[in-house]
This record gives sequence, C-alpha cells and structure tokens, in this order.
Amino acid sequence: MDPNEVEFLGEKQLVSIVPNFNFDMIHLISGSIGPFRAGLPVKIPIWLAINLKQQHKCRIIGQEWMDVEDLKNIKEEEKKSKVFTKMPSNHYMDEVHMLLGAASDDIPNADEIRTAVKDIWDIRMSKLRTSINAFLKSEGTHAKLDHLTAMEINNVRPLLPHALDQMVRLQQIGQASATADSREESQNMSSI
Amino acid sequence: MSLCSSYKPNYFSIDDILATEERLSCKVLQKVPRLGFMDHSSESKDLKPGTKLELSFWLAYSMNKSKDPIASIDIPKYYKESYREILNADACAIELSKWNTYFYEFGLHVAKFDHPDCEKLPELLLKTFKSRFRLVMDWAQNQDTNPMIASQLPMLERTIFLSGRKSKEQLVYWFKIGGGGIKTTELIANHKKRKRSTFIENER
Amino acid sequence: MFGRRGVELVKELDQSLDSIPPFNEELITEILEEMQRLYNENRIDVNTRPDDHETYLSIKVRHAVLKRDKRCILAYLYNRLRRIRQMRWEFGSILPPEITVSLSKPEVQWFDSYSKCLATYMKSIGDNHGLNLTSDLAPPKSLFIEVKCIADYGKFEFGDGESVQLKKNTYHLLPRSECEQLVRQDGCVLLSPRSLTVNCKRHCERKDQETKRESLSACRSL
Repeated sequence: MDPNEVEFLGEKQLVSIVPNFNFDMIHLISGSIGPFRAGLPVKIPIWLAINLKQQHKCRIIGQEWMDVEDLKNIKEEEKKSKVFTKMPSNHYMDEVHMLLGAASDDIPNADEIRTAVKDIWDIRMSKLRTSINAFLKSEGTHAKLDHLTAMEINNVRPLLPHALDQMVRLQQIGQASATADSREESQNMSSI
Repeated sequence: MSLCSSYKPNYFSIDDILATEERLSCKVLQKVPRLGFMDHSSESKDLKPGTKLELSFWLAYSMNKSKDPIASIDIPKYYKESYREILNADACAIELSKWNTYFYEFGLHVAKFDHPDCEKLPELLLKTFKSRFRLVMDWAQNQDTNPMIASQLPMLERTIFLSGRKSKEQLVYWFKIGGGGIKTTELIANHKKRKRSTFIENER
Repeated sequence: MFGRRGVELVKELDQSLDSIPPFNEELITEILEEMQRLYNENRIDVNTRPDDHETYLSIKVRHAVLKRDKRCILAYLYNRLRRIRQMRWEFGSILPPEITVSLSKPEVQWFDSYSKCLATYMKSIGDNHGLNLTSDLAPPKSLFIEVKCIADYGKFEFGDGESVQLKKNTYHLLPRSECEQLVRQDGCVLLSPRSLTVNCKRHCERKDQETKRESLSACRSL
C-alpha cells in the first residue's frame, strides 16, 4: 500500500470545524454531513474540512487528543511499556500530518504537537523492528501485536510479508525434500 | 504501488531460469554416444565414463536423477560442512553474493539431489535467511544506506531490500510533501532518460 | 552450444528491467534451429536403434536440452508481453515510437487487442456507464491541479471542447482528470500542492461568479 492510500483512509475520520457560512445537510453515499450554521461547531470528515479551509470557509478545531501535555504523557507511557500502548486514533500520524499541514494557524502549539507525535512514532517504530526481529529468531508460527496503527503497519509492508513468504517457501521445500520419493522425480523433470 | 507479491519461482520466472543455470561439477558414469563434444578437452565422438565436466544445474539434474544415473554430482563447496560453520558463526558478516548471487535459489535446487550433504541444506538456508533478515531490514529502513549496497546481497535478499527501500522512500516523500500528487512512473522516467542520452550522443 | 543461447535471451531481459529491448529475432531463429537439429537427431536414433541402452541416454540428454530451450523462449516471450501490458497502463493506448520499434509485429497486434479488451471492459463498468481505470491511480486530493509545462506541447483540448495552449515554462490550473495522463508522461510537472491554496481560492471565486452570473441569466430568461 502507498502512504497516499493510508492517508485516503485516514481522511474519513471526523474532525470538528466552525464554519462561517450556512448550509443545509449534504447527503453523500458515505453518510450525511451538516447542517452548517455559521459560528456553531460541526463534525465533518477531514477531506471536506481541508477543502473548506482552503476556501477560507471554516476554522478547524484540532482533535481532542492534539494537546501537547497529553501527547507528552502518551510518549512517556510508550517509553515505559514493553508492548504497544493504545493510540488516541488509528490514524494519528496522517491526521496530524494533514490537519497541521492545512490549518497550523488554527491549532495551537502546532510545532510542538508535530515534534511530540514524531517522537512517539520513532519510539513505536523501533519497538516494532525489535519485535519483528525477535519473532523471526524464535520458532513461532504467528505473533500478535495490539494497538498498531495503519501507517505503522504500512511501514513494514512489503518487507515483512515478503520475507515471511520466503521463509515459508524455504521451510516447505525443506520438508518436501525430506520426504522425497521417486514419484517426485517425474514432476521435477517437467519443471526444468 | 500496485499489488506486489513476493518472489515465487515458476516456469516463466527469469530468476529461476538464471538460478538453474548455475554450474556444478559432475563426473560421467556411463558412456553416452555421439555427445563427446560436451567435453571440450577430448576429441572423442562419445562421452566417456570418468570425464569430469562443469554442467548447469538443469542438465546435471536430468543426468543424475534416475535409478540409473548418467553422471554423479558434487555439490558446490559453499553448501558443504566447512562453510556451514562459517555461516553458523556469523552469517551477517559474509558477502553472500560473492559466493553465489543465487545462493538461496540454487541451494533449494541442489537440495533435490540424493547427496549426503544435501539433507541439512534447506535448514541451513532457512537459518541463514532468518539471521540475515535483521541486516536487510535495517539497511532498507535506513535512509543513509547507499543503494549500491544491494549488489552485496544475494538475489532473494536483494528483491526484499529493494521493495523495502522503495516503500521507505515513498513514506519519506509523503512526510515531506503529502499526498495527492501525480508522479511520473519509473518506466516513463527511465524511458525519457534514455531518450535524452541517445539524443545527446547523436548530437555529438 | 547446448542451451547456452537460450539463457542469453533471458539475460537480455534481466539486464533491462525498466524497459523493453528490441525483439531478438536472430537469436530466437538460432535457438529454434538448434531445437530442430536435436529433435531430428533424436528421431533418427529412436528409429534406427530403439533398443540400445546407450542411445537411450543420448536421447535423454538431448531431450533435456530441447525442454530447456523451449522454456527459455517461452519465458522470453511471456515476460515481454507482461512488460508490454504494463506499458498500456503507464503510457496509455498509444505507445511512443521508440518503443514500438522494439516490438515485433505480433507483439504490436497483441498490444492493440489488449487495449481493445481493456477499453471494452472499462466501458461496461457500472451498467455500461463506463469508468476510466487508468486514471487516478493514486487517491486524488482536489479537482484541479496547478502544473508547470516543461516542454512545448502545443494545443491541449479538454473533453468538453475547451482548449489551452501549453508552452514551455507557463503555469496553468487544469482539471485533474484531463491532465493526469500528461503529468504522468512527463510533459508537465506538478507543482507543490501548497501553492494550490492561493490559486484555488482565486479560481473558486471566479467559478462562483460565473455560476452566479449563469443562474441570474437563467432566472431572467424564465
């Protein structure tokens, strides 16, 4: 998957805005949005919020978790914990990237939020690399990691799935040749 | 990035054809008439028993794999016991592509022979792959590694490294610029580069 | 000698992973001649010495070489077709002349019939409404994009009849659906999306005024 595609999925998350125009409800395939009343906050998908912001038709209110203190606490918890902690949103990285890119003037302490989120990302990515390596060194057949977000999972694609495919292939061929008999000879002959 | 699946050898696979082209030393066991030209050093019309030849895997396999083999094979030294110990000690320090670019693929094919050294071969390949994966992953995820380093890796690791590196580059690009752009595809970019260079050459 | 030429064909493809080399008719003819020769020798041996064990061994070896040559040629043709198919998605339905020169006649015919199949399929999506699958390969962000022309292209016509003159180093705000193919083919360069905000506003204001004017005139005519 592309980061673009993950971001596309992340754009569906809702964010609060304060419009400066009035408009009735809009009925879209994915759901209804609005109604818009100037000065009153309303929740809309991020893709629409960014579009309206670019047309100077609204002010974006950051997500509730986009607070520097809260993010610093999350970072400390992430550092202490051996496993992954639950993130405030499954798309925290792309939401921060999009919202701070479009509306850094509306959201307070944008730069500090960016830095805090980047630090959390770095900590989680190095944890992910270590756990992948531990899993591969062990003889386990499956592993479970809770609370990973979409962008983090995307970061190890296609590296991890391909490597696992190759390992399965090496294992299967190893088992097959251990039980080889003359019947396999004719099959192998035709494949060369 | 379109859906990409990992390497799976099949009849049409270019890498599998090249892997089965790798050579083995063989010793002819029976007389084969009218094929004496396979041995460059002899002028005889027939291939005599006792002749030593270097044959590609595909030919060696068909000559060996039957109840009455035409030739016996000797597996390459880097799949044997002594080299196995080097791998067990520290697989990451070795430049596997110097031993053989198709180290894993060729190894899997060689494992099909009925040779005493072949029994533990798939296990060795799996163990080597697992221990080297960390190295490949770190190189792919690290922005500063020189992409030319891929030539030190055998083919299987190289494909994984390159796909990991490409996805990392896309992520970094996304961090810097964001989504929504339309990019020229690699195919077209390389085509244009080649056009420009031939144009410059023609001008000279 | 004995299957080596086949591998040369395959190596040609391996060395040019990002393009398609010219169709090597000569080498294929050579390999086919070797295959014919081996087949004839085998046929003679089978007919003249059917029970000789040693002859059976030569036949076996020649047969292995025949199968190897066959595999190499088939892999060469198959992988070339896959690259040509990829080119339909990258370059569009008309290939640049530098590429068509490298293709053999049957390959050009194959490309045309693949294009036709793809077009028929795309037209049939959604109850014959049609959908261009080759556009928007990455999720789009906006309806219009700002582009800078890096080459003289000339007149570019939109689907609705409007046209624009694309000269080198000029900037334009164009609908994404129309110019996506141009950008991917490297005729234009996409500017940073951040610059879109300013121009988008101006463009939207312009569009607002136009729609207002149109609706006013529509009301007056009622």
